[in-house]
Amino acid sequence: MAISTFRLPDLGEGLTEADVVEWYVAEGESVALDQPVVALESAKAVVDIPSPVAGRVRRHCARPGETVATGAPLVEFEVDGEVAGDAAGIEDAVAGGTRGIENAEAATPAMPRAVASAGGDAAAAASGAGSVANRIVAMPAARAKARAFGVDLASVTGTGPGGRIRVADVERAAAEAGGGTAGETLRGVRRTMAQRMALSRARVVPVTVTEDADIGDWREGEDVTVRLVRAVIAGCTASPALNAWFEDDPPRRSLHRDVHLGIAADAGDGLFVPVLRDAGAREPAELRAEIDRLRAGTADRSLSPAELDGATITLSNFGMLAGRYGTPVVVPPQVAILGAGRAREEPVARDGAVVVRRRIPLSLTFDHRACTGAESSRFLAAVVADLERGT
Amino acid sequence: MPADPTTDFPVVARFEVRRRRYIDEAGTLVHPLPDALSEPHSIVRLYRAMVLARTLDAKCVALNRQGRLGTYATAYGQEAVPVGVASAMRRSDVLVPSYRENAALLWRGVGIHEVLSYYAGSERGSDWAGPAHDFPTSITVGGHALHAAGAAFAVQYRGEDRAVACVFGDAATSKGDVYEAFNLAGVWRLPVVFVITNNRWAISTPLAKQTASETLAQKGLAGGIAVEQADGNDVVAVHEAVRLGLDRARAGGGATLVEAVTYRLADHNTADDARRYRDPAEVETHAGAEPIGRVRRWLESVQGWSEARQARLQAACSAVVEAGVEKLFAVAPEPPSVMFDHLYAAPPAELARQREDGLRAITAEREAKLRG
Repeated sequence: MAISTFRLPDLGEGLTEADVVEWYVAEGESVALDQPVVALESAKAVVDIPSPVAGRVRRHCARPGETVATGAPLVEFEVDGEVAGDAAGIEDAVAGGTRGIENAEAATPAMPRAVASAGGDAAAAASGAGSVANRIVAMPAARAKARAFGVDLASVTGTGPGGRIRVADVERAAAEAGGGTAGETLRGVRRTMAQRMALSRARVVPVTVTEDADIGDWREGEDVTVRLVRAVIAGCTASPALNAWFEDDPPRRSLHRDVHLGIAADAGDGLFVPVLRDAGAREPAELRAEIDRLRAGTADRSLSPAELDGATITLSNFGMLAGRYGTPVVVPPQVAILGAGRAREEPVARDGAVVVRRRIPLSLTFDHRACTGAESSRFLAAVVADLERGT
Repeated sequence: MPADPTTDFPVVARFEVRRRRYIDEAGTLVHPLPDALSEPHSIVRLYRAMVLARTLDAKCVALNRQGRLGTYATAYGQEAVPVGVASAMRRSDVLVPSYRENAALLWRGVGIHEVLSYYAGSERGSDWAGPAHDFPTSITVGGHALHAAGAAFAVQYRGEDRAVACVFGDAATSKGDVYEAFNLAGVWRLPVVFVITNNRWAISTPLAKQTASETLAQKGLAGGIAVEQADGNDVVAVHEAVRLGLDRARAGGGATLVEAVTYRLADHNTADDARRYRDPAEVETHAGAEPIGRVRRWLESVQGWSEARQARLQAACSAVVEAGVEKLFAVAPEPPSVMFDHLYAAPPAELARQREDGLRAITAEREAKLRG
């Protein structure tokens, strides 16, 4: 009596695991060579495994619903005589080759169910389908994910064909278990943000430079946003290379004469960047009125698509809430974005003495495909110089 | 409504496609048997070959499930095509098969262990005891139609009295390669017979999504070659259609296209589960027309083919197949370097260098293993 362990072979082309659907031969029962022993479901198919030996099934290494890795033990057989491993049973089969005849009452030579399943054996196919309905059907990748997340597959609703659990279903279930929202599909402005940021990440070669502007000489009640707009325009005048669009493939650069300034605005549930048209041609009062109009339009979602499109450079006044420096993200085809942190009083060295001054921290990101470091420094210097003027 | 003015013009060409059939699915003779197959024992030979093929296919699926054979495509329900083709050929003719023609390989003299070793990943599977001038199995869909045209040109160029038979599936007829082969075979009157195994499914693509043609045979008309359709589940029809085509080819009459209409009762291959895309009810409607049952019914009626006779045949087939399996596993695996050995009579320097590099790597690996 020899024991041979049958390990799960690759049931497709590069499959890593399969799930046990049903055992046809119970532990302790005898089995003939090529008799179906177990039904397995891989990512590709439900297949029957025929016995590689004639003997007795000693042990099932996995229960229905459990997953077996390719190469891991699936079933142990007891085989009579001095045979071991895969060679078992071959001589036996040659000697007793008439075994197949017993199945030959059928009009045609019998095929194992694995082959015939798609064909004449509709009853077997139907019963196979029935047993599938009563158990968890999940993609192997989804099972792996569920293990990693500690998600019970029984609690997951599958959205794949026939209710099959997919990776996304497990991820959603994991998010729900964590008390968050359940894998909502992004729409509108939040979706646009995701796409634009990913595009930027894929294309732009960003460099961020930081600097501080001393606004200690500002008079009472100076309009911070308007001053920042004015400073960006001064920067663009000093360094037109940052007020530009850059397109790749083939690399092309368009320098703009006018400054259409995108102003990043928080709208509670998403990022809006309305465009302040021709900002360089407007008086401060007019700028303020336009900024207010855009802000109101953002709040009540009344801005037209055209008012959200066509910026040549962007200002992000992120410091209105918190934050000193950042790495603002350039959105193609633009090549630069200026971020302003929260203005604060701080000790600075000035004329050989430490004094307390009010300063705005600035973070400039530029696309190094389109701008040189010198062009960007010139821009930043002009921004700082303009901000530091008393009026 | 005005009459279509084009009907006034003369017809310059007319075409038709006929379907050949001798034994119908009930096992009834519907057309007198061709002379060469008029004796029942000659049809018993074909029947035996089909039963052996089905037995081998079943074993190969089992071996695949047991992890002892690679991906395998059975010809379950299509056995009449490879048996019909091979039995119509002379040994000197050239077979250019695709991957459901193992029954044809066996008929041509290839050993069962050799067929098995191809699917076990061994080069021996293509270096067989069958005719050395036969082509190895083409896994590539349709590309070998051009190889067949080339082989037929070689035959023609050398003035030899032989012909080429090339088998491919319905999906191949959507490939440009196959149309090019038809065209070349037509314009050069090449001695080749193309056989389409129309099993109506290209993995998961049904024929209706494959072509708008009423028949696949008519695809040969544009190449100017003789075309006909055969009941691909009638081994006699396939045999006779191919035999006539080969005779025409050897006589200088040019190429022929035979569409053998059959049905794939099995999964596409062992890595497929057809129930995912094909209604089992459709399979059910075709199961009764499969090729082995109808010949058995005919043999029962004309020759009193008995259960005992059937059992003896099945036992013999099983024994032969099991012996082939035993022979396959009795031989030591080949060294990886053999993958280079059957490509060129005189390998180019680059290939020779790769072979040496490979051998060095294998030796190093073995030494490392020995040192532990």
